[in-house]
Amino acid sequence: MEIAYPVGLVVFAAAIIIGFTALVREKDDLHRILLTDLAEILALVLIALVATDLAEALILPGLVVGISELMAVSEVYIAKEGLRAPQEPPFRIEVMDSAPGILALILVAYGIVLSGFTGGVIAAVGAVFYFMCRGHIEQFELIETVSGYAWAFWIGAFFIFMFLPGYWFFAVMIAGGAILIKVMAKMSLVGTMRGGGPDV
Amino acid sequence: MFDLPTTNIGGPELFVLEFGDIVAYFSPYTAALFVFALIFTVLAIVSRPERQVDFAFGGDAYYTKEVEANLLRFQRFMAIACGLATLGAMVTGDVFNFTLFASLVGITNIGIVAAYRNRHVLNAAFQYGIVVMLATVPLFGGAAIVLASTGTLSMWELFTGAVAVPLFAKAFLVLGVMGEGMAPFYIAKAEITRAQGAPFVLMVHVSSLLLFLRVIEIVLSM
Repeated sequence: MEIAYPVGLVVFAAAIIIGFTALVREKDDLHRILLTDLAEILALVLIALVATDLAEALILPGLVVGISELMAVSEVYIAKEGLRAPQEPPFRIEVMDSAPGILALILVAYGIVLSGFTGGVIAAVGAVFYFMCRGHIEQFELIETVSGYAWAFWIGAFFIFMFLPGYWFFAVMIAGGAILIKVMAKMSLVGTMRGGGPDV
Repeated sequence: MFDLPTTNIGGPELFVLEFGDIVAYFSPYTAALFVFALIFTVLAIVSRPERQVDFAFGGDAYYTKEVEANLLRFQRFMAIACGLATLGAMVTGDVFNFTLFASLVGITNIGIVAAYRNRHVLNAAFQYGIVVMLATVPLFGGAAIVLASTGTLSMWELFTGAVAVPLFAKAFLVLGVMGEGMAPFYIAKAEITRAQGAPFVLMVHVSSLLLFLRVIEIVLSM
């Protein structure tokens, strides 16, 4: 720890100098978005250098904030440049017609077995794959609603932890299931969100 | 049980709300900021949006701008969310929570500005977004250095004289808040105020003012 932290700080400083120099020299807007995302990872590196359980817990909100900022700026970029969703899918291969149902089912089922954050991500990969192959027209409002309820359950579980610690096992089960659904819903929105309206 | 270690900046604590080891509190200073933010949040909820009129220069002609209802609704939602994030940043007793609320203010500010389909305003919002994303590096970096050097993030511990926070971490924290909440002042203010929706655009300025006052109080107390 005594050696690792200063060395990590030096690497961080070098990385941030490289990143910001690249940002200053870059003129293309899309490339600047990508470079800022790279720079943002450095904030997580700095948190991760602390290397305690608390730091581990702080990385997740940092990551979520970073991703939501990236999505907001990307939406602004899409609106600014007047980009539209492509009319036809960019590529089409045979496996995308035959596989999505069974593959998504397997991934979602395995994700439910894993539960928690990891399970949510695995299940989300299945959902993303399904939407990518089968199109995504109006499932989003349902997904957002489910995600909102799952989040409320998650928070409710934390209130059980705080006020009724005796029922911790019950709360763990609620929190595990709710975070699975919430992470899955949120992740399946990533990459498939295209504004929605014809004006974007 | 809880006594604020330094009372010469924020005053003695008035009210303490304990969530495990995260303890939110009011001092006279933060309570005043909280009430100020609350007033403007309520204003954003109840007020009716303005309708802009452009005058043709040199004549007596004018034309009114059409604003879509759903864009206004989105902007109002973002303004209310911005107000709530500001309220959270005022009461929190934890440095990392403060940085999270600050970046939430940054995101909602982008949302308020971006709800307008003017190319110049969108361009300004984009530049602001780049700065907001870059500012997360010093913001979270400052909180991480505070955690690494003192072992705690609770303001109740950090405000005591026994804990010394490095000047570097304080500078990072202020720099991060300046990038997150205060970018309109130096990048895009002229372009942003060109956007419609008077009470909602106002929230951008209110939140940046309050965030800056709060971070200065935190940094001086540490």
